[in-house]
Formats: sequence, C-alpha cells, structure tokens
Amino acid sequence: MKILCVAEKPSIAKAVAEHLSGGRSETRNTRNKYIKNYVFDYDFGGQPWGNCTVTMTSVLGHITAVEFPSEYKDWRHPPPERLFDAPVNTVIADDKKDIAQNIETQARYSQGLCIWTDCDREGEHIGHEIREAARKGNAALTVKRARFSNIERAHILHAARHLIMLDDRQVNAVAARIELDLRIGYALTRFLSNNLKSLGGPLANLVISYGSCQFPTLGFVVDRYFRVKNFKPETFWSIKVKHKKDGIDVNFSWSRNRLFDRASVVILYERCLAAKTAVVTKVQEKPTKKWKPLPLTTVELQKMSTRFLRMTGQQAMTAAESLYNKGFISYPRTETDRFDKGMNLRTLVQKQAQDTRWGAFAQNLINGGFQLPRDGRHDDKAHPPIHPITYAGPSAALNEFEKKIYEFVVRRFLACCSEDAKGVATDIDILYGEESFHAHGVIVLERNYLEVYVYEKWTGTAELPKFTLGERFEPHEAMMTEGKTAPPSYLTEADLIALMDANGIGTDATMAEHIQKIQDRDYVRTVPRSGRQGGGDDDAEDSDEAPAGRGGRGGARGRGGRRGAAVPQQARGGGVMEFIPTRLGVALIEGFDRMNFETSLGKPFLRKEMELKMKAICDGHTTKQVVLHESISQYRRVYNQSQENLNVLKAACRQYIFDNAAG
Amino acid sequence: MDLAAQIRSGLQRQGLPTPTLEWVQAVLPNRNPMPPLQALIATAKARLMVVDITNGTVLDASAPALSPNLSNMEVVETKLSRDVLVQVLDIDNLTKSKWEQVEELEAIARGEQTRGREMIRLPAAGEDDDEVSYSSASTQALSSAPGGARGGNGASATPKNSTHRLVLQDCKGQKVHGLELHRIERIGIGTMNIGEKILLKKGATVARGMVLLEPTNCTILGGKVEAWQKAWFDNRLARLKEAIESQGRDE
Repeated sequence: MKILCVAEKPSIAKAVAEHLSGGRSETRNTRNKYIKNYVFDYDFGGQPWGNCTVTMTSVLGHITAVEFPSEYKDWRHPPPERLFDAPVNTVIADDKKDIAQNIETQARYSQGLCIWTDCDREGEHIGHEIREAARKGNAALTVKRARFSNIERAHILHAARHLIMLDDRQVNAVAARIELDLRIGYALTRFLSNNLKSLGGPLANLVISYGSCQFPTLGFVVDRYFRVKNFKPETFWSIKVKHKKDGIDVNFSWSRNRLFDRASVVILYERCLAAKTAVVTKVQEKPTKKWKPLPLTTVELQKMSTRFLRMTGQQAMTAAESLYNKGFISYPRTETDRFDKGMNLRTLVQKQAQDTRWGAFAQNLINGGFQLPRDGRHDDKAHPPIHPITYAGPSAALNEFEKKIYEFVVRRFLACCSEDAKGVATDIDILYGEESFHAHGVIVLERNYLEVYVYEKWTGTAELPKFTLGERFEPHEAMMTEGKTAPPSYLTEADLIALMDANGIGTDATMAEHIQKIQDRDYVRTVPRSGRQGGGDDDAEDSDEAPAGRGGRGGARGRGGRRGAAVPQQARGGGVMEFIPTRLGVALIEGFDRMNFETSLGKPFLRKEMELKMKAICDGHTTKQVVLHESISQYRRVYNQSQENLNVLKAACRQYIFDNAAG
Repeated sequence: MDLAAQIRSGLQRQGLPTPTLEWVQAVLPNRNPMPPLQALIATAKARLMVVDITNGTVLDASAPALSPNLSNMEVVETKLSRDVLVQVLDIDNLTKSKWEQVEELEAIARGEQTRGREMIRLPAAGEDDDEVSYSSASTQALSSAPGGARGGNGASATPKNSTHRLVLQDCKGQKVHGLELHRIERIGIGTMNIGEKILLKKGATVARGMVLLEPTNCTILGGKVEAWQKAWFDNRLARLKEAIESQGRDE
C-alpha cells in the first residue's frame, strides 16, 4: 500500500519523515527547488493503514487563491459594488502550480493521503487545498489528518498512529473569511481610491487600501491619538503625611487620593492639622504573593516581545515560527493558557538543566521545586501553551530574534513550573482628624519564579516601623500637595494587541500582520516613546509631572514608498515605540466616523461580528452560506451609506490632509 | 383639630418643617370619604419632596432656615443650631477630573457603551494584566485597596473613596456647599436627584462655610424636582467643558 503525506512546509515534512522513517528515507527532488519528496516505509499500526510505502512531501502554505474573473479587472467598470456578488474563482496560484502538480502526480500512485498541516483553522484549509489537488490525481483516495502541535519524535509517532479526519467546518470558516476579505477589501479599496483621487494632491495617485481588520486597528490608533490631543489638564490637590519612627521614614497616602477642588482640600487639611495627633486604626501584617505567570499564549508572547524584547509582534511571530519549524518549541499559535494534566512537564524541564543561564534553576525544579503551572481559562482544544520542546544551546544556529524568543519561552515555562514569589505585606491605617491615611509595605521573602523570569520585578518597598493599634502620634509633617493630570500615552504595540484581542479583531495569529499592514500603508507611524519612563498607561493620568516633550507632532505626513516599506521601524535602538496616525489615517477614520453609521468601518463592531460568525461555523452553529450572505449584505449596506455620504469623507480628507478647516 | 392641621403635625413628628395650611389643603385629595390619616401624611410628604421649597407658599414662615452667616469662609468651625431641610441644586464628584467625566459622557453619546457592541478600552494596561483578574491575595489587589485606590474606571459604580460636593439650598433660598466627609451611599451622580431633599441635623459641623456631611448628621429624604433634574443632565456636558475652559483661562 502507498500513502502520500503532505505537510504545510518543507521543514515539517523533513522532520516528520525523519521520525517516521527512523532516519532511513530516500530523498527525491521535485520541480520546485524547496520541495523534496521523502520515500520510506512505515507501519501506521492498522488504523486504517498498516505497513505502507510512504512519500512525504509538503506545500509552501496556501496553494490556491481566490480572484474575480478578468472582466472585473478594471477599477471603474463594472462599478466596485458589483464585487459583492461577482463570481469568485478559486485558482492555483502561478507560483504554486508545480507544487500542486507534484501532489497530483504522487496521488496517482497512492491509495491514501495523510495531511500534516499545522493544526489550526488556516492549516485545516490548506489541508483541504491539498486534498483537492490530490483528488485530481486520484479521486478514490482515503484522506486522513495527523494532529500534532510540535515535532518532537514521540509526539509525531503518536500522531501518526492516531489519525483523525479533516475538519470541514474549519475549512468552511476559512473559506468564508477568504471570500469576504476578497469582496469587501476589493470593493472598498476601489471605492476609496476612485473617489478620493479627485481631491488631487497626495491622493491623486494613491491606492487607499481597505481591510476589515486594518481599519478597526487604525481606528484604535486614531481614537487614542485624539484622546491625547484633546486632553485637558486639570489641577488636583492632595494631602501627604510623613512620619519618622524607629529611624524609618513612613509616607502615608490619603484615602481620598486626590480631589479636584482646592477649597475642599484646604478645609480637610486644616482639620487634620487642628487635630494635632493621629491615631492608628489598623495594623495588619499578612503573607502576600506575586503570582507566577500563566502558561504562554500567542497574544501574550507578542505583547511581552514588544515590551521586553524590543521586537515587533510580527518579528516575534516569525522567530517563534522558525523555532517551531526547527523543533525547538511547540506550535506558537495557540490561545491555550493551561497545560493538559497528562503532559510530562518535568521531562521538558529536565532538558533545560544543561543550560548555563537557567540550568541551575531547572535542576532545582527537578530536585523537588517543581510545581504544577497555574491554569488559565482558555483552551483552544488544539494546542498546548507555547513551551520549549528540545534544548537549544548558545551555539544553536539561531538568529538574534530567535535566540531571544527561545530564551523568553524557556524562562516563561520554567517560571510556570516554579512557585509564586512570597513576601509579607504590612498595612497601616491612621485617622488624622477625620481623614484616613494609609501606608503599605512589602518585604520580599522568597523570589522563587522571579529568579528565572527576569522580565518581572517585585522590589519590596521599604520596611515599615512597628505601630500598635490605638497608638497616638503627632505626624512629623503633613503637606497639602498640588498636581496636574497628564494625557494618556499613545498606544504601544502591546496596547494595540490587547485592544485587538479584547475587541475580536483578527486572530491571535494575524494581529501582528494587521499592525504591520497599517504601517506599510502609511496610515500610522511609530515613534520612540519620549520622556516619561516606563509607566504603564494606568499611571499616566496620575502623573504629577507635565508630559515631557511630545511637542511638534500633528500629522507628520510624507508619502514615499508605500508598499514594500516593510522595514520594521520598531526594535531599532531604544525603548518602546508608540503608534501615531498619519494625516491620511486620521482622515479616513474621522471620515467614516462622521458619517455616523451605527457601524462605522473605523470601529471594531462589524469585524468582531464576522469573527464570531467564523467561530460559529467551526462550532457547527451556522454555515458558510449563511455567513457569506449576512456579512456581504451588512458590508454592502455600509458601502451604500458611504457612497451617499461621500462628501463627509471628502471633507475629512480636505481638513486633515489639506489643512482645509472648512471640513 | 382639622385634617390639614393633623397632617401638619404628622409631618412635624417626622422631623419635617411645617408646611403652610394652604399648601396642605391644596394637596389633599378630592375624595369622600378621605383615605386614612397615615396615607394622607405619606401623600403630603411625597408631594413635599418634589416641590421647590423656596416657593413661599409651601413652608410656613417659621420653618427653620440656615443662619445667614453660615457660608462665611472666615469661620473655622460652627455647628448647625437646629434641623434644616434643604434641597440639592448641584452635585460634583471631586474625585474624578472633569475631563474624565467628559470622556465618559462622550463615549456614551457615541453609543460605545450600549450592550452588545461595547467598545472595550484598554484594561488599565500595566505590567501584569494577567494578574488582575486572578489575584485576590496578591499585591496587585492590595494596591487597589482603599488607600491607593485610583477610582475605578467604570462609569456607573461610584467607588468607595469618592468625595462629592453638593450645592444645597434652604427654604429661604440661601445656598451652602455640602462636602461628603464620610461616604454616603445615596450621594452620587445618577443616584442622587436634583431637587432631592436632605434634612441637615442639628449639630452638623460647618467648616469655613461648608457643611461636612456624614451619614449621622443628615437624612437623605429622596424626591426630586423633575424640571431641574432634566436641565441638569441635559447641560452637564456643556457645564463640564465650560468649567474646564475657565480653569484653563485662569492659569
């Protein structure tokens, strides 16, 4: 019996062939220089196949694409809205013809097809494309699919003996998404480009690309931009109490934190002073912990990479994928943040014990420090959290990004298998006049996971002196302070990913691409965060200082190389990058928002609905046809409204791109 | 004693100021037989809660008012010498910046908080967003304890450490500020009405012209003046913006 196995990319085909053949396979070239066919014998164990001759090959991602017939090539005729119901053809892309041909030819000699694409929605659809190509050669093939999430030997062997079926629901969900993206993207891109061209200037020869993920993503950036730009600082007042005891300075903070009215604070402050002494109303000392991180998901990997590893989300994903293809880490596209109870995590920890940086920590876990990871609430039922598979030493052939990502994945994993950091927290409340004040101190006792997880800090605040309940004292100092609110910060990539995640824009695997797209399109720019150090956004509004030099921004424009400008602007030199919209980006979002749709294209709601529908197809709650019909009607409606309100969009462009305030 | 007088003394027994007999007569239902006295007193009280008490025909000339010098800022501290009924003319949440309130109102106006299409803004993006939802014992939670509370970002719920300032008015039309010295649950934007009645109790502290409100020294009686309430909410955004602008000009 002959079986054809097809993986999603050559590296996986090679690794799987290696494992299944025990290293004894014959390699044959194909007409595509990247694709090899590996031929060997393998016993599938009888379900449904037994001892077989196997040809293992691969594709290079998708082999088919969708397109409109040639009569729709012209941007003006037929009019763009016809693309909502024009026929759509599925074709084999020109550069994939030899790959499809290889599969078709091999299928002719085979009785069975086993699909080894990555186990996610996209991989399921590629599996479907492979099945279609193979059936051209042999319509009677038996088709199976291997389920795996890393290319470690035992895992692959297990997958080969436990084959499943291709999941047509997932295939349909992706097919729906592909068709919707094509129709909506083409129709609106042509609509925008055709109509805004007439405004001339920089718009005369510009392709204004629309994507149903890109626009909401841009919308977040523009929304924050205006929140920063429109921000009005206000003065607030507070009361701070200082005391010195046993040689230790204590700062008590006001339970009201701050008030936006001077007279009120003056009165309350005066009454504190009049009271002369403060009385201790609560003394509490209790153990506290800083929780170890949850097992690693894709979204979290991207957020952490942009924050701590000086990479963009896309660079992180590329590096992670490469590490997966080389067998060092598990599949990096996962929403799961809990490990399956059956997994042998200790073995994985053991493999890291040889490292000079974290080996000792790993060895400690093996010697008894091991603790089960925390369980998050997400499980995509397809892949485990991202974790290291095999050990990659400092001499492994990895590029800088891959090394950093590998190190992060390992440290995160070891942290997960370690223990929470422990300390003692002391809380002291005092009543000074009628006002309450509070002091909080933490002493770190055991750093535990923090030893290996260098990305987090937990520095104990200074120790507090001993106070006893009911104790009276005269505070050394009580001051009335004044501060000003500061605007929020522009979005960082981590913020943007979090927003996309919360609003259901894109999948965890595609978010980074959308973020890169809106930069390539010149809708947004990234600039290094200036001034203010480190503080998260939550602190920004409480900052006492005026925002440091973020002057002279505005919509710095500059045309220049649109496409192709994919040079990542982040991760160069310094710290965190912030996203600021260009004039074009502002004009597009403002234009759509001002049309005042219930569902502006600049807002996340339409796309979120679409993502939920994809999920519903996967769950069997709806079908591809229903979703296509609903979503196309929705977007067609928005398209028609946009046409009617075109002047609003044009006015926004005149205002923001041409500085014509009349808009 | 005639019916109106009985109702009047019923109200007095509840600590309320005395309305004019004419006013009581006017609110008596035109029914025969009359409902029981207790029901009539309740009706009169409810009517009293929704009128403008500065209207001279409502309260008897003997009704207690604030002492004329009360809002003198030179006086460090004094006490109310008797119970006084006041009505709320304005509420200000001193814990929130005006701009924060403007942003919330504008988000609601854009429909971004309607159910089903909630535009989720950043969950206070910190280093540990994972932790927040999980930790109850960890330090992350401690940092949001009353001491260091940042005032929640939710629009509706009023955080525990909120401090409000009210503009209160007595039956003579005299106005005084009331500052929330200790949190009073019913005071809040959206929970307290404009025109709502409060009974300030004898002995309440007035510091530099501001009545310091505590649960023990005032009774929130409820009620509202519908027209005032509507106008207050309709103009709130404009008022906040105007206040921000004028603060900007002062500097």
